[in-house]
Amino acid sequence: MTQDSRPAACPRSATLSTRELTLGYSDRKVVDRLSVEIPPGKVTAIVGPNGCGKSTLLAGLARILAPRSGTVLLNGRDINTLGTREVAHKLALLPQDASAPDGLTVEELIQFGRQPYRSLVRQWSQQDSAIVQAALRATQLEPLAERPLDALSGGQRQRAWIAMTVAQDTPLLLLDEPTSALDLGHQIEVLELIRELSRQGKTVVMVIHDLPSACRYADHIIAMRDGEIIAEGEPAGIVTEALVERLYGVRCTLLHEPGTGAPLIVNPVSIRHAED
Amino acid sequence: MKTSTTPTRDAPQGFWLLRPGSLSLLVSRRGVWAGLLLALMTALVGVGNLSFGTPSLTPDQVLAALAGAGDPFNVFMLHELRLPRLTAGILSGAALGVGGCLLQTLARNRLATPGIIGIDDGATAFAVASIVAVPTSLAPPMLALVGAATAAALAFGLGGGGSRGYRFIVVGIAVGALFGALTNFMLARTDIDSANLAYPWTVGSLNARAPSTVVVLAACLVICLPIAKALGRQLQLLRFSDAVAIGLGTHVRHTRLAILVVTVFLTATAVAVAGPVGLVSLVAPEVARHLTGHRGVPIINSALAGALLMTAADWVGRTAFAPVEIPVGVITAIVGGPYLLWILLREPRMTGR
Repeated sequence: MTQDSRPAACPRSATLSTRELTLGYSDRKVVDRLSVEIPPGKVTAIVGPNGCGKSTLLAGLARILAPRSGTVLLNGRDINTLGTREVAHKLALLPQDASAPDGLTVEELIQFGRQPYRSLVRQWSQQDSAIVQAALRATQLEPLAERPLDALSGGQRQRAWIAMTVAQDTPLLLLDEPTSALDLGHQIEVLELIRELSRQGKTVVMVIHDLPSACRYADHIIAMRDGEIIAEGEPAGIVTEALVERLYGVRCTLLHEPGTGAPLIVNPVSIRHAED
Repeated sequence: MKTSTTPTRDAPQGFWLLRPGSLSLLVSRRGVWAGLLLALMTALVGVGNLSFGTPSLTPDQVLAALAGAGDPFNVFMLHELRLPRLTAGILSGAALGVGGCLLQTLARNRLATPGIIGIDDGATAFAVASIVAVPTSLAPPMLALVGAATAAALAFGLGGGGSRGYRFIVVGIAVGALFGALTNFMLARTDIDSANLAYPWTVGSLNARAPSTVVVLAACLVICLPIAKALGRQLQLLRFSDAVAIGLGTHVRHTRLAILVVTVFLTATAVAVAGPVGLVSLVAPEVARHLTGHRGVPIINSALAGALLMTAADWVGRTAFAPVEIPVGVITAIVGGPYLLWILLREPRMTGR
């Protein structure tokens, strides 16, 4: 089903990077002069302890938060000088606190994904309809299209939001903790969907809490602590016992999952008290 | 894309897709039916407004008098008294309805209407000041505008830019209370004649408004209504959280500011005509949303519902206890208050969260 479920217009490629990016809220600097390149066509996971600035970095990448200094470059151009609509053609965002108006159905939510392409004189087209239907198929939500969002399970609702970003038809997809409120089954359902979208050519960046899930589903990991990147690269290459200790203040043993080789954390012991 | 076994609908469900020339426009089916219903009811109430009173006329007497024929007294009464009053009611109701709908959407909260945020009170305070100090007919709308803008700027500036609904409302209530106290202070200090002249401002009344204020209101509606309608698409997105709206390509801050400016103009010019009939801006959008099924942001239907509410309330106030006239603001409070309670109790959730 996957081949035919792609939206009509294939995502064009796009690059995203930051140069000396500093982000913060009021008088607090959260991300300090950070330069990073998002590898195109891959799934990148940003991991790190609470308050390390990973969600802030994502907000900066998605132009939700304006930089204090430095730049975010979308296709080599400063994202904050581009029109927000133009950016919405290239980059879709699923924020953590996504909330929708009461009574909105799955299909109506997905239709909002076409918003960046609509205008006062061109409000809807056959292509819009086709792309919405394709997004429903790609996320296997066709049977639920008429259901109100509040009547769905957590995993289904998250899939509906992802379907909205699919309908936005962008080469880049940014997700902030897409699995945070979900049980194991729904987490896997959502992460496999993200993997599938990446296979179809999207560049994905997600903030994720769970390190083992990040290793299992991401091609590239950005590990952050105190607003800085302390490690970056393929999961197998950078996730070590020493990294876990630096990131979370947890001493542990890493085992490797049979099959995928993804690291598993066993025997964790907190050493944070001793350090502080 | 050859495997389309399911037929693809051209328009989203519940909409008509119109293609005049190279345009493509979506029209909500329920919105159109609701609009026709509201327009018809407003027309009926309008005819009732023109017919009933002291003296009451038959519909053909009304038609004849409108055309300038028949009893000269009837002609005078319709053209000089009832018709201007009906016009004032329809226009001010429409403006208040749209203002309420815009501000509710902006703050993502159904309580956030110009009346509650204090915009009405600001407009009233400044307008009363103009009556107490310089009684000219053009000054009230101008000063009402200044007052409304001041109140809105205070509530918006101190209330976190409207993005945090509850803070915006609480700050707005305080601003409103401040301007309310100012109005009462001015009325207490002034002589009895000026206070009498300013009295309608404090309750909301369509009785004997200066025609020039109605002209200003009409001009404002002609400009603001299309702008509000054009902002409609971005308005829909403001019902999501900010990050979602920005992600979908909305310039949230610009949109908010545009909405606030339009709301201030509509509310101020309406208050200059009818006084602070705040409940219309609270109830009219509810009626419109109820009829259109909670989807989009019903700008035009809020206008129609506001016009209907205002004219109906004025009709009741004018005739129910004749010859004593009950101000329209009192009637809307008596009818609108319980209606609002019913709506809030029926649907315990206030917002989408």
